[in-house]
Amino acid sequence: MHINKLNEMTRRAFLKRASTLSMMGIGAPLALNLAGIGEAAAFEANDYKALVCVFLFGGNDHANTLIPFDTTNYDLYSTIRGGGAGRTAGGIALGHDSLAATALTTLTPQTLTNNIQYALSPELKSLATLFNSGKAAVQLNIGPLLTPLTLAQYNSPDRVRYPLPPKLFSHNDQQSIWQALNSEGATRGWGGYMGDLALSSNNISTLTCISASGNAVFLAGNNALQYQISPSGAIPIWAAKGSAFNSSSVSNALKQLITQSSAHLWENELATVTKRSMDLEESVNAALNPVNLSTSFDRDSKKNSLADQLKVVARLISARDVLGAKRQVFFVSLGGFDTHDGLNENHPRLLAQVDEAISAFYQATVELGVSEKVTSFTASDFGRTLASNGDGSDHGWGGHHFVVGGAVNGGQFYGTAPQISLNSDDQVGQGRLLPSTSVDQLAATLASWFGANTSEINSILPNVSRFASSNLGFMK
Amino acid sequence: MNNKSLITRPHSSDAPEIQISKKAPDASTTALSLAGLLTLASAGCGGGGGDSQSTNVNPSSSTASSVAPQPLTKTQAAGFLLQAQFTATDDEISSVISSGYDAWLTSQFNKTIDQTGAQWLTTSGHTTPKNDGNYFNPVFGDWMAWNQLLTGTGQVRKRLALALSEFFVVSLNPIDGFWPPMLIANYWDLLNTKAFDNFRNLLEDISLNPAMGFFLNTKGNLKEDIASGRVPDENYAREIMQLFTIGLYELNLDGTLKTNAQGNPIETYVQSDITNLARVFTGYNWDYSKVTQQYGFESYPVPSPEFTSGRMAFDSRKHSNLAVNFLGTNIPENTPGAEALRIALDTLFNHANTGPFFAKQMIQRLVTSNPSPAYVARVATVFNNNGSGVRGDLKAVWRAILTDTEARTLHNNNIAGKLREPIVRLTQIARTFNVSSTNGKWEIYDLSNADTGLGQAPLRSPSVFNFFRPGYVPPNTTIAAQGLLAPEFQLHNETSTAGYINFVTFFIKSGYSDVKLNLSAIESLATDAKALVDWLNLHLTANQLSSATKNLIQQSLEANPLTSASSTNAKYDRLYAAILLVAASPEYLIQK
Repeated sequence: MHINKLNEMTRRAFLKRASTLSMMGIGAPLALNLAGIGEAAAFEANDYKALVCVFLFGGNDHANTLIPFDTTNYDLYSTIRGGGAGRTAGGIALGHDSLAATALTTLTPQTLTNNIQYALSPELKSLATLFNSGKAAVQLNIGPLLTPLTLAQYNSPDRVRYPLPPKLFSHNDQQSIWQALNSEGATRGWGGYMGDLALSSNNISTLTCISASGNAVFLAGNNALQYQISPSGAIPIWAAKGSAFNSSSVSNALKQLITQSSAHLWENELATVTKRSMDLEESVNAALNPVNLSTSFDRDSKKNSLADQLKVVARLISARDVLGAKRQVFFVSLGGFDTHDGLNENHPRLLAQVDEAISAFYQATVELGVSEKVTSFTASDFGRTLASNGDGSDHGWGGHHFVVGGAVNGGQFYGTAPQISLNSDDQVGQGRLLPSTSVDQLAATLASWFGANTSEINSILPNVSRFASSNLGFMK
Repeated sequence: MNNKSLITRPHSSDAPEIQISKKAPDASTTALSLAGLLTLASAGCGGGGGDSQSTNVNPSSSTASSVAPQPLTKTQAAGFLLQAQFTATDDEISSVISSGYDAWLTSQFNKTIDQTGAQWLTTSGHTTPKNDGNYFNPVFGDWMAWNQLLTGTGQVRKRLALALSEFFVVSLNPIDGFWPPMLIANYWDLLNTKAFDNFRNLLEDISLNPAMGFFLNTKGNLKEDIASGRVPDENYAREIMQLFTIGLYELNLDGTLKTNAQGNPIETYVQSDITNLARVFTGYNWDYSKVTQQYGFESYPVPSPEFTSGRMAFDSRKHSNLAVNFLGTNIPENTPGAEALRIALDTLFNHANTGPFFAKQMIQRLVTSNPSPAYVARVATVFNNNGSGVRGDLKAVWRAILTDTEARTLHNNNIAGKLREPIVRLTQIARTFNVSSTNGKWEIYDLSNADTGLGQAPLRSPSVFNFFRPGYVPPNTTIAAQGLLAPEFQLHNETSTAGYINFVTFFIKSGYSDVKLNLSAIESLATDAKALVDWLNLHLTANQLSSATKNLIQQSLEANPLTSASSTNAKYDRLYAAILLVAASPEYLIQK
């Protein structure tokens, strides 16, 4: 069964768009560097690997996610964020005592900037355990960059030598840049490009890139499509399954109407998606139905949409052999991280959901015997200001992120720890971090683990060669 | 502009007139039709009304002066109605035909609001604290929103307010504390009340609205504090520029990007503009001056809901007195808060971007995803000056959008139109079939779930960036390959396409809790499948269905033969089936 294999029309359509863009003089997005994409070498995978992007929509407040725990740096943090006397909570600062249970200990000694030591938010207990046991790593101060930048270069008027990512600090655009290395309107993401390489390894190529959240450009490649699944599985169109209002003819007509091609582009695309939905629904649900995970994704009976999404991802991974999948890229998300106000109330609640969801998902991969085959990582629009606006923080740039899984060189920090300051040379004002690691480097490191070779990585991520390393070392 | 300057097309009758070619898209014909569209568009008059003109793209064809105005066809009237509001009933079609687009719009602009959302909540008992927790439970906001969309007259106003709610976005989702339903109702009522007012007035009212204050953090926003390093919240300052007025890049009048000498887009603002403008929005909070506290429901007192309406209160002690330098405007230090706000909003309102930025998105919401630059320019021109020297006249903007040549001739083009939003689909279907509530509750909950709901719910956007972005391009599609936008497709995927069809299947027969349809208008057509399909085609799609689709539907209905002696159940099954087949058809879902 090879549904939706590389198809000549799509490829030609892409090439046509590429040439149109070139003629329009638009700076080449990463896609255009993939010459001869249809013929691009694809790896032949015999084992199983999956990559899971956990997107935190709104811009995660990294400073209350990974908090200085040594007293020197904690005091700097507390002063900036309005902490109370005696290292108690205050303003938008967490209290020092509350961090003791989630202090991070590296597996091997590491000396970071200003001898900083970190704790995780008190809500991230399971994630702290994963870190301390070597199953999770922290990538420090990462964000979109087109080239490495010092503060002086950031402030330089020479944007030819020191280009900036477009539309910094803007939610929708930075979401797009994290996912697709270009601002809103981008149509191909780096998860999708990895999917392109993997399409031929999977029996059902449409099940290569799967979103359990909304539409996500991260998952769209040149040929790889974003396939959407709901937490409850694939959704059947009941009226098109043999009888509608006591009529088989009506049901058949419905099926034809909603799937037939049309000369009108919009109608045609609408039907294409519906047809894909119907083509896969029965096989996907047949594969999912027998899956019975013993790992609980609900430790506190509270609603957790991220856990619901990761649960269906775990179930799909469990069904990988039935579905003939060798390489898969997943996208899940949680919203609400734009904590301009109410940081103290809202951020802990959100992080508790992240902790429950990611740790349950890791446990599920252990249960399924694929913990070393599945890697999840967090991403977000941007980090936030270290400065307080009273009861929250504002849009920033760089932030800290997690990589979790049995294949992760965990219990370690990667990248450069930023100073806890509002005027150091590693931030651009109000504690907005100037990233010291680029998203491209993160993507390249994950792509390498996924099976992409150097030339494939360079074609997926043409800017990565501008940075010191295309492998950050956090994967085994 | 008067009702004689109608856009008409030559038609011999109201018979099926749209033949949708089933052959594969052909680049040359696409290019030709695009060119035709642009030719037509540029031929329209600056006010957007246009002369009487045929759709013939041949410039040598009959000119305006040689063609006598012809009465509108039912198809034309229905097509117009389905852009301007939710339904196209027989009465509404007749009314548009008899008065023409312009006069009909004027009559709608003059209609008053029969009941506001806040009034409905009040008369329904949802503003007196009760043990059902109505003072903190947001679901009554959902009931209110659907009651507003599904009932009452003044549909044009409500349709345009819905479009505004997707531009000046406030979402019920994060609103907590006391009276979320009243907060969102008062925001909706503001959009509805000011939909025919001036953009500048609307901009000021939404900026100071209590729900917006909560949503984008102007509520409780404090001036800087040097000692602690605290700075004003920047959220509203950023989003009022990025989303509500000028956008990120400098625009030409036609909505296209301006470029610098190197050919690159020009940013409208930088971070320091935001940091400065943020000072203007400090010192505001909910106005508790008229609130009375009520006891007995919880261990804490429950305030009465007066703070949810009107404007937030201003406290000069909490307002930043620093000078504000943004977009080349200087507001001197110690300028009083109201005056600083006036200057800031005037600056944004008068920015050259605001007209085309707003115009293009409203065209996208109401008419087509990819308006020609000339169409955008015509509407932006009207935004900039309604012809009487007034900038920001929303009535003139709506008129320019809806009566424009391009809006009235879209259906000739295979890339034109837009995907109908799920909210608009449901509202149209419900209103077309005389929706009512069996008990007055309108108990429709948040339908945002794509698998069990509609994947969209009014006033429930996931963020200030709306349900979909105006610049969304669906990946891996011919739409993307042609460099086109399709905003509403951001909601379309394998889950939502199934979820919608399932929802509609259920809704047309069983309604949704107390909310039920009444099919009496088409009951008599049950035994005449062809007449039934024709009726649905006109009223739901403005005759957009191809003859192939109509035949397919008709034949499938006739497979279960019916006579007048057949059972009521059998007749109703045919009615349900017919509505479902139309409502699920891509030829309906894409509004052209």
